[in-house]
Parts: sequence; C-alpha cells; structure tokens
Amino acid sequence: MRALKQKKAQSLPDSQMSLGRNFRKYWPYYLMVLPGVIYMIIFKFIPMLGSVIAFQDYSVYQGIGGSPFVGMKYFKSLFTYPDFQRIFTNTLILGAYKILFVFPIPVALALMINEVRRTKLKKTIQTAVYIPYFLSWIIVAELVFDFLGMNGIFNQIRQALGMEPLLIMQQSKYFRLVYVVSSIWKEAGWGTVVYIAAISGIDQSLYEAAEIDGASRWQRMTRVTLPLLIPTVVTLLLLNIGSFMELGFEHVFSLLTPMTYSTGDIFDTYVYRVGILQAQYSLTTAVGLFQSFIGLVLVVVFNKISKKVSEDGGLW
Amino acid sequence: MKRAATGDKIFQFTVTVILCIIAIIAIIPLLSVLAVSFSSKDAVNMNAVTLWPVGFTLDSWKCIFARPDMWRSTAITVASTLIGMVMALGITSLMAYPLSKKEFKLRHAIMVMVIITMIFKAPTVPYFLTLRSIGLYNNPWVLILPHILSAYNLVVMRTFFQQFPKEVEESAMIDGCGPFRVLMRIVLPSSKAVIATIGLFYAVVIWNQYQHPLYFIQDTTLYPLQMKIRQFINEGSELQTLAMKLDVNYTDRSLKAAIVVFAILPIIAVYPFLQKYFAKGAMLGSVKG
Repeated sequence: MRALKQKKAQSLPDSQMSLGRNFRKYWPYYLMVLPGVIYMIIFKFIPMLGSVIAFQDYSVYQGIGGSPFVGMKYFKSLFTYPDFQRIFTNTLILGAYKILFVFPIPVALALMINEVRRTKLKKTIQTAVYIPYFLSWIIVAELVFDFLGMNGIFNQIRQALGMEPLLIMQQSKYFRLVYVVSSIWKEAGWGTVVYIAAISGIDQSLYEAAEIDGASRWQRMTRVTLPLLIPTVVTLLLLNIGSFMELGFEHVFSLLTPMTYSTGDIFDTYVYRVGILQAQYSLTTAVGLFQSFIGLVLVVVFNKISKKVSEDGGLW
Repeated sequence: MKRAATGDKIFQFTVTVILCIIAIIAIIPLLSVLAVSFSSKDAVNMNAVTLWPVGFTLDSWKCIFARPDMWRSTAITVASTLIGMVMALGITSLMAYPLSKKEFKLRHAIMVMVIITMIFKAPTVPYFLTLRSIGLYNNPWVLILPHILSAYNLVVMRTFFQQFPKEVEESAMIDGCGPFRVLMRIVLPSSKAVIATIGLFYAVVIWNQYQHPLYFIQDTTLYPLQMKIRQFINEGSELQTLAMKLDVNYTDRSLKAAIVVFAILPIIAVYPFLQKYFAKGAMLGSVKG
C-alpha cells in the first residue's frame, strides 16, 4: 500500500506537487539555497525594514522599539532644507551628464575596435582600454589629483604654454567635468565588452552582401553594424536611465573636496557625512528612502519600456 | 572600385590611429606613476620625469617595503580577497543551481526576492546600523561578508546553469549521484569560464573596496590596502615628514607613486591569465533568465 502511494506521488508532475512533497523529494535543493536566503535576509531585507527609523526620532540607546514615532516629520522638512535641494540637483545633473556624455562613448569605441582587422593589434588595444576598469576609485582619484595638481602634467603644459597654473580640483565649476572625464577613462573601455559581443553575433553574410553592393567600410559600419547594434544600445540606455541615481559613492567621494561641495555633493556623500559621521540617523534615512524610492520608480518604469522595445530587454 | 579601396584604407588607418591614441591615454597615467616611483628625489622635484625613470633609484620602494603597516594592510586585503572569493563562489553557485531547476518549487518565490534586492536598495543608514548591531563594526569580516552574494552574479550564474545539458545531469542522477555531487563533480568542473569570470568580479570588488572599510573600520591596524592608500594621500603630512629627511632619495610624490603601483600590481599580474575567460564570461551577461 505504502509503495503504491509512493509510486503515485512520483508519477505526479512536479508542478502539481505540494510544497511539502516537493521538499521531501528535492530537499538538497532547499539546503543549497539556505545560506543565500539567510544572507539576503540579514544583509538586504533587515536593513530595508530598518528604514522605519525615518519615521521616528531614532536614538541608538532607545533602539527601534523604544524610539518615538514622529510620522512624516523628516520628510516634510526635507524639501525645505537648502542642503537637500543642493544634493538633489547635483545628483540629477551628474546623472544626466553620465547618460549624455559617458554612455555613448563605449558604443563609438566598440564600433571602432570592430574595424581593426589585425587580431594582435585589436587584442592589445582591448587589453589597454580594459585595464583602468580594474583600478580602485581611490587610485584613480589619486592619479587625477596628481595629474591636475600644482606639479602635475596638466599645469606643466599650461606653464610651458605661458599660462597661469590652474587648480581644477579646488574649483567647484570643474567638478562635473572631472567626474565625467574620470568616468570615461575608467569605464568606457570595459563598457565595450557587451557591444563587441553583440557585434560578433551579427550575420557575416550581411557584410558580404554589402561589400558586393559596393559599400565602403564606413558605409558598412554605419549602415550594417550600427543599425543592428541599436537594440542593445537602447536596452542598455534604458537600464542606465533606470539606475540614474547610482552615481557611485566611491567615485564621487574620492574626488570631492570641501571646496567642490556646491556642485559635487550628492545623496550618497551627504548621507555619509551627516548620517554616519554626525549620527543624524533619522534625517538621513529619510533622505535615503527618498532616493531609493525614486530609484525604484525609475528602474521599474524603464525596465517596462525596455521590455517593450526589445524582446531580450529588461533586467528581469 | 579602386577609389573605394583607397577610401577604405584611409578609414581603417584613421580608426587605428585614433584607437592607438585612446589605448595610450588609458595606460599613460600608469606608466607615469611607475616612472615616478623609480625616480630620484631631484628629478621628481624638478618635474623632470615623464614616462621613463630619471635618476633611477629603488629608494621609494625600499621605504614602502620597509613599512610593517603596508605589509599588514596588504595581508588583510589579500586574505579578505581570497576568503571572500571562495565564499562568494560557494554561496552563489549553491544558490544559483537550484534556481535553475524547474523541479524546485520555491524557484519563483526566491527569484522575486532576488529581484527586489536588485531594484530596491536599503538606505545607507539602516544598513550601517544593522551591520553594526551584528558586530561587524571594526571587524575584518566586514571586508568580506557584505560582498559574497551579488544578485547580478547570481542571475548570470543561474542563466549559465540553465543552459547546461540536462542529459548529462540526469545520467549522473541515475548513477546514484545526489544534487550536491552533480553540482560539485559535473556541473562546476565544466563551468570554468563562468566561475573564473564571476570569481574575478567578486575579487575585484573586494580588493578595490573602500566604502565598507570607510564606514566600518576605525581601527587603523585593521585597514585594508585601499584605506591605507587613502590615509597616506589624505594625511600627506606623514609622507612629507618621511621625505623631509635630508639623506633620502625620495619625495612624498614618489612614495605615493610607489604605493599606487604596489596596489595595482597584483591586479595587473593576474589580469592576462583571466582575460581569455572574462571576455567569454561577460557575454553570458545577458542578465535575463
């Protein structure tokens, strides 16, 4: 009887099995995901729940349970802070610059790399442009400060041309430029990997046909490669807009000096300074929640658009 | 026809020249610090060094190597990178494998969890307070634990496992292998490219990190390499005092350069071995599953 029952259970398709039965049959799978699930609960979900302190007058001594609730107090005052307006504007502007000036570079770079026919040269160029991606922002920032410093190459050239030395890193009007250029230097090369992979998937017969029709190399690049690359570009563009608010704490923070706060201070750096260092926990959690919420809306909306535009698009 | 061919040649030549210039721009700052780190005090002070050491000397390097705190930070970084990479690959592949199986009933529920963590980031402050409350403040594990499971890498690995031929796994199952053995003996050994790529991504994150140590580590004896670099650069006074001595053949700038090269070197050293893998692996990055 028991054997019969077991046989019946096994013949049931897996999709119709109850959770308990699925567990009994496939318990090793449950065991395998356990560490990851516990990990995500501790490192991702508990901090999310901890965001409740944005609605409290949180103090470390009273804890989440003991601190009084104050409703929307911090959110209401948020929008009147001049600090908040500054970091919000700076985040938006840097995000926009990143999309406008940084995003297109890897596309152009990938198109050019694809035109190099000599394999060895191509590999060398790829290796060289990938390297900066693997350096830390601390090191990149040090290279930037050194390059633009009083004794740096930049000011040596200026002096050689008879110009006054210019301390770029100490002037707020140049911060965004430095952010964009350092971003390109570090990440544009690595950004080509996806596009080169997409280009390598293009049907070679299209090029042969174009060649027979007398298309030049330039025409083959702009009329064959580029149009076929556009879906990938659009998908990545939409995903990039979706993660608009993620400017990289390490990147901005390592380039920032008190002289450049007016243009370079963003949500992440502000939260570190005021939240972590000055321990204004509730206020900065409200700032962080606001940021996460905007990020959430952007990701969801642009993911949806991305899925509409192309079949493979979207993060999930 | 001939004119078109000439046009093509000019086009290709221009593209190659532009790319070579770009490649040079990408590595010139590194060559420049390398040159400075091997140059003499006078040459550096006179800004005479460009891309080749002037007045070649090993003094800056000797000074850096003679510092026990540099070695301590290096040991912390190397250890956390290795331990972290192994833990990350373990936890990620263990979790990705069942998620690639249709038979696993919680697959969808857990994927929803993963996607939630991808699209909604917990604000920094509650994250900080949570980690501090579980004892990660001034604890070297904070260099490792926050980085051992990334949703992005998990999804890439799951996608890869989904493409693994089912027949191979099934025949192993019939031979009496449980899922653990199938994963360890059959699936992982034939996934070297994806393991190498994802392992490299995890290792680079841990090696290069300084947000977590900045937030959580106050004790300077626990500083990883990047924090040590930051300390030297920000509090330049320590290096300046070192370089002030009359009988030395280095300056604070050449010392900084040596530190920078010192921190980059391991990455550059393993890079060529991994390059062939990660170009392949990054193509798996069709994030969607």
